[in-house]
Amino acid sequence: MRLVHLQKQFQCYLLDGKSEIERHVVATDKASAMQRLAIYGNAYRLRLLEVLGEDFPGLKGLLGAESFAVLGCAYIDAHPSAHPSIRWFGRHLSHFLRERTPYNDRPELAEMAAFEWAQGEVVDAADTAVCSAEQLAAVSPARWPDMRVVFQHALRRLELHWNVPVVWRAIDDGTTTPTPEHSTRPLAWLLWRRSLQVHWRSLAEDEHWAIRACLDGRTLGEICQGLSERSAAPDVPLRAASLLKQWLSEDLVANIEFGEVPC
Amino acid sequence: MPHDQQTRPYLGYGLGLRPDHYQDIVRDWPAVGWFEVLSENYMVDGGKPLHYLERVRSRYPVVMHGVSLSIGGCDPLDRAYLQRLKSLANRIEPQWISDHLCWTGMAGKNLHDLLPLPYTEEALVHVVERVNQVQDFLGRQILLENVSSYVSYADSALSEWEFLRAVTEQADCLILLDINNVYVSSCNHEFDALTYLAGIPRDRVHQFHLAGHSYQDNLIVDTHDTAVIDPVWWLYADAVRRFGRVSTMIERDSNIPPLSQLLDELELARRIAEPILNERAA
Repeated sequence: MRLVHLQKQFQCYLLDGKSEIERHVVATDKASAMQRLAIYGNAYRLRLLEVLGEDFPGLKGLLGAESFAVLGCAYIDAHPSAHPSIRWFGRHLSHFLRERTPYNDRPELAEMAAFEWAQGEVVDAADTAVCSAEQLAAVSPARWPDMRVVFQHALRRLELHWNVPVVWRAIDDGTTTPTPEHSTRPLAWLLWRRSLQVHWRSLAEDEHWAIRACLDGRTLGEICQGLSERSAAPDVPLRAASLLKQWLSEDLVANIEFGEVPC
Repeated sequence: MPHDQQTRPYLGYGLGLRPDHYQDIVRDWPAVGWFEVLSENYMVDGGKPLHYLERVRSRYPVVMHGVSLSIGGCDPLDRAYLQRLKSLANRIEPQWISDHLCWTGMAGKNLHDLLPLPYTEEALVHVVERVNQVQDFLGRQILLENVSSYVSYADSALSEWEFLRAVTEQADCLILLDINNVYVSSCNHEFDALTYLAGIPRDRVHQFHLAGHSYQDNLIVDTHDTAVIDPVWWLYADAVRRFGRVSTMIERDSNIPPLSQLLDELELARRIAEPILNERAA
């Protein structure tokens, strides 16, 4: 049998459980061809289930181990890995949960998966410098309106209808898993990396808008103008300065720039 | 760097770098000769993995060990993967780069397993051609590791050691000889492990792996989740007698114990190998 056909048959066996590979495997008194192949078949699913469990402990906590394994097997069948690193295997899981019956009847599951996947992205996103308060203090106040805030690469935003970060924390702490709570309006969450650790917190609506504006390359002057239309704060420049101070203290800011936004 | 009687670089006794031990390593800087890192785990843009890798690299020699090269696969070599491998190598300057004599998937899929090849003339020509491409791209020789296997194919015309020897000699590459894998496969396929060792060219072996395994039905499975067992230590002693001073490391990928326990196990490797090496030298 040609090498390519043998590999095709072997892969069909692992992915679908059906193939003619058994005929090409040597059976001995020690073990039949199927017993030998089963070592690979079992290991294939167990390895992928294991990595899903490591990457999605909150989802596993919500579903319970048995249902999580059922979900994992369905996902393995729908999305075989196509990346050299197993680290990326779970990247479609949130979408899968949103689309697939019966999981789409529990939208908190897809949100938990998205939250956990974002945590993983924060862990190994590209490193960036951290802008200090002193760097900002060195900028002449006259130039502040033209200043643009550049965030760290590890920053991620999520809009969640369910309080999955709270549920995740309870699962991680090993306390009783609270019932996920739904809110009609989504709440924005920010995830970022500080001293190699993943952090997150929820965002007020005006801060969420300001962060998106920064990511779009808007200047501080434009952000102040936008905030004046959106923020309930009585003193908009003070609110903008307060946000900036908080972002700096949380190591969110990588740099401050002036001039045109690079393409 | 010390050398054996040939031009083989020698790093001493090492361990696999695992995230469970990051904190202990950078706190205690244990007396380990070198670390082996799983290449794919560090093909990321930044953050914790690369932070700890660079700190470890600042104090220890490092070698890169991959699991997704698929040197025996029938898809074209993944150039993007090779580029990331090369970039990582440029960044951490490993003593060498290794992967496995196996295939890992086809038609764009990665099965994340080290699947055995049939030991045929067709597979030999195929693998040699691909090793040549990889070595040309990386600008260096690579090491290929023998894998544990649970199946053998009716089509195979060569023994595993004949195939490994032919690949390395025809492609001019090197060998990472996994002693546990020789033991596991010798039990699963009922061949003599010493015959295997005798079939491997001395000067091509640049690294030994040691690991534990588990049992499933009548077969032994290479799970890397237990300590090295006595028969594997005995085979290691035989390998040291045959191959001489070869950089040796213990692989542990699951059920990972405290670092101190692995250091004790590594010390056992040293206590087995050094008297044999001293005797050889005398």
